[in-house]
Amino acid sequence: MHRILLAALLVLALPAFAHAGTPAPLSAGDVPALLKPPTRGVRILAVWALDCAYCEANMQVLAQLQRAHPREVELITVATDSIAQHAPIAAGLKAMRMDGYPARAYAEASPERLDFLIDPNWGGETPRTEIIHADGRRQGISGELTAAQLQKLL
Amino acid sequence: MRTFTLLLLCLLSSVALAHDTPGMKMPREPALGASAAFDAHGRLWVVDAADGHVRLRHSDDLGKTLSMPVDVNAVAEPIYDEGENRPKIAFGPRGELYVSWSQPRVKPWTGFVRFARSLDGGAHFSTPITVHHDRAEITHRFDALAVDGQGRVVVAWIDKRDMEAAQAHGKPYLGAAVYYSWSDDAGRSFVPERKLMDNSCECCRIALARTPQGEAAAFFRGVYGDNIRDHAFALLPTNGDAPNAERATFDDWRIAACPHHGPGLAIGTDGVRHAVWYEAKHGPAIWYGQLDPGQPPRHVLKLGGPGASHADVAVYGKTVWVAWNQVDAQGYTLMLRRSGDDGLHFDAPRAVASSSAAVGSPQLLLRQGRAFVAWNTAAGFRLIPAEAP
Repeated sequence: MHRILLAALLVLALPAFAHAGTPAPLSAGDVPALLKPPTRGVRILAVWALDCAYCEANMQVLAQLQRAHPREVELITVATDSIAQHAPIAAGLKAMRMDGYPARAYAEASPERLDFLIDPNWGGETPRTEIIHADGRRQGISGELTAAQLQKLL
Repeated sequence: MRTFTLLLLCLLSSVALAHDTPGMKMPREPALGASAAFDAHGRLWVVDAADGHVRLRHSDDLGKTLSMPVDVNAVAEPIYDEGENRPKIAFGPRGELYVSWSQPRVKPWTGFVRFARSLDGGAHFSTPITVHHDRAEITHRFDALAVDGQGRVVVAWIDKRDMEAAQAHGKPYLGAAVYYSWSDDAGRSFVPERKLMDNSCECCRIALARTPQGEAAAFFRGVYGDNIRDHAFALLPTNGDAPNAERATFDDWRIAACPHHGPGLAIGTDGVRHAVWYEAKHGPAIWYGQLDPGQPPRHVLKLGGPGASHADVAVYGKTVWVAWNQVDAQGYTLMLRRSGDDGLHFDAPRAVASSSAAVGSPQLLLRQGRAFVAWNTAAGFRLIPAEAP
């Protein structure tokens, strides 16, 4: 009984651990699924980098929105740093108290190709907020957003 | 049952935490932050970082083969080697090899600028020294290295001591600052650092070039007014004069973000300041222009839009080359344009190389009046001639 429960819990728990807090690799082939419109509300990609002085404040604004609308807002953090840096990325997410959200990190050694695939009208500056609406609309905004600016976008 | 479930979750989370321990040593491929330069004899030198060592390699067949690496720092230390960060190399007038890099400290965004020299053609290096006299555990990184006309070794970097001081007093301070120092004794020691400018961008490389008079000059991203990320140009005085950084681009790109895109600078023997830079006021764009500090640049030309990044520029006589990365869904293309009239007109853009693997920033190098592009790719280092021999 316990063995079955253990196996079932492992199956259930591992994918969660693979995402929340611990970045999962994001490769070019994964981008379409990430950009696919959600069934309801919005999916927000909180794109950040280790070398980004403005990302934490942006993350907090996005997280605040997600907490206020947990059913309508799906929030995913995406680090443009290579997954080879997963330890500092995970530490950064934890320090920003963002480790409860699904996390991705680029699976390439330089970010430009994935930047382009996520949004060709984005030059890689961070923070970048990509908002994907259920009806297929997309918005991409560079720079730290205030709560008021974010409200206007939704 | 509940106890068992809790125990199991605790076990799982401890596994997850162990996996994420900061500073855990992970073997990984060398990152793409590399610098290359030709010495006075036409030998190509390449520096990058691997396993905590800045490693130096050279090539006598224009990059087709590289020598076995020599460790610049004998004792391993953390090294910034990605994105806009890369070890640098420059040469002194008597064949000295100078290498600088930025060393991450424990806290995020902190760093020390490190330096070592070789006086025997790269066989051995001095014990690395920290260039700045300030030892606070704050940002001193994004080092840039040059040798001026008097043979002084000049190093500039991004420094947050003024931001930290302002914050300690509850005062606002946008961005960071640029500091610089130099060595009058061929890299044995560095003079106490000077501030070049307050309110620089925090996360973009600094470009250094030599003027016809032999001074080192810097071109770098600043923060103007309310987070306008335009660029500044400044000479780096080594005679006690106060530096005078002047705004040199006027795109008015206002953004509270890290662009991760530093500029490029090459100064002709005629004093023309050829520059390339990135901004995204109306979408991503890289530009060529001739700097006229205090005024908007002259002869401005848009080199690329979406997917264009990390341009570099070189000049020899009246010939100017610009190179940049162009990315699309398939991968990277190395683009090049050439001007035969000192940058007034450029030939059509040419694709000179491509890579499906990740690439670093291209670097234009000159060798006896011919231009080459150093292109570090995840599939290996490449040196690409700007035109057929």
